[in-house]
Amino acid sequence: MTVRRDDLLGDLFRTPLDPGYAAAAARRAETGAPPPRWGRWARAAALALLGFLLAVAYHQAVAEAPGASRARDNLVADVRARQRTTEDLQRRADELRAQVDQARDDALADGDSAARLKQLAAGIGTGRVTGDGAVVRVVDAPPKVDPVTGKTDDENLGLVLDRDLQDIANALWQSGAEAIAVNGQRLTSTSTIRAAGGVILVDFKPVTSPYDVAAIGPGDLADTFGRSATAKRFKRYVDSYRMQFGVRARKALVLNAAPEPPLRYAHPPSPSVSGSPSVSPTVSTSGGHR
Amino acid sequence: MIAVLALALGVAAGIFFEPTVPLGLLPYLPIAVVAALDAVFGGVRAKLDGIFDDKQFVVSFVSNVLVAALIVYLGDQLGVGSQLSTGVVVVLGVRIFGNVAAIRRHLFRA
Repeated sequence: MTVRRDDLLGDLFRTPLDPGYAAAAARRAETGAPPPRWGRWARAAALALLGFLLAVAYHQAVAEAPGASRARDNLVADVRARQRTTEDLQRRADELRAQVDQARDDALADGDSAARLKQLAAGIGTGRVTGDGAVVRVVDAPPKVDPVTGKTDDENLGLVLDRDLQDIANALWQSGAEAIAVNGQRLTSTSTIRAAGGVILVDFKPVTSPYDVAAIGPGDLADTFGRSATAKRFKRYVDSYRMQFGVRARKALVLNAAPEPPLRYAHPPSPSVSGSPSVSPTVSTSGGHR
Repeated sequence: MIAVLALALGVAAGIFFEPTVPLGLLPYLPIAVVAALDAVFGGVRAKLDGIFDDKQFVVSFVSNVLVAALIVYLGDQLGVGSQLSTGVVVVLGVRIFGNVAAIRRHLFRA
């Protein structure tokens, strides 16, 4: 078999060994000279270098790969810690609010006005309320999974949007609801339901799927809502987008109070005009001055 | 024997000192490792063939690493760094594969 000398690739595949070895062996056989004494040490040095190289490369590969996941873990831990802090602060705020309410009730010796105040607070959403009503539950459709690659489809049309929650809340109000809470976030007259970066915020607090919209209202609230156009639309969504949707009547719902909105620009009218001496003109430290 | 000891010593030194590779040298590290492996498998095969030569081994080891790094550097400068690295890896991979096959034939007679 003749080997073409310019066949580079063929040469490479046929003779993977450096031809230098064969040449050196032939030369040695010719001259009969013993291998040089420094040879073993040079070989040892080269192998030590190789070991060093391998260890460094391995170390580098190991150090590099989990860098991203480590950063992610740190972020997750950060988020968890902040969430705990938020919950603690929320609990503390609830305690303090209960204390304020208690103090106000004590201060208002007149039982009549205390009851009236409570009634008003319950109406606008800053007081706890309880009663019978309905719970509407909407859940994001599960992400579509490609049966071949096992990858999830990025586009999910069955996600619950802020608009959907707005529609549900509005339909509930329309059906006669007197108090509504989304995942425990009580809605007031100034509440917002909006989306920011794929997360739905109710009064700037994030809520996630499954969304429970609880409402207190007349006994037939669940039925009335179920017949509404919004409910019919969501039932269509269930068929087309695999979103989950359900309405159930519920007894003895308890809806927490919404935090009182801090008033920055609006003042109650000055005492001489309103005629009520207990109202202070500045409400920056809002407590029970209403 | 001395070869294995030296290898172990090198690995130990690498683990012990944990040197941080300068950012500029980082792209050359994997290529250098592949080139060094090529030289080592060539040496092992030559040993089994009975034609091992220290000088040839050391020179091929050093030059392999340097040439591989040089090619990658050149490719980076020319804007074809990844393609050239792929080429180097393919060539060295073929050689490693051929040498390992020869070693296998020596050891297992198959």
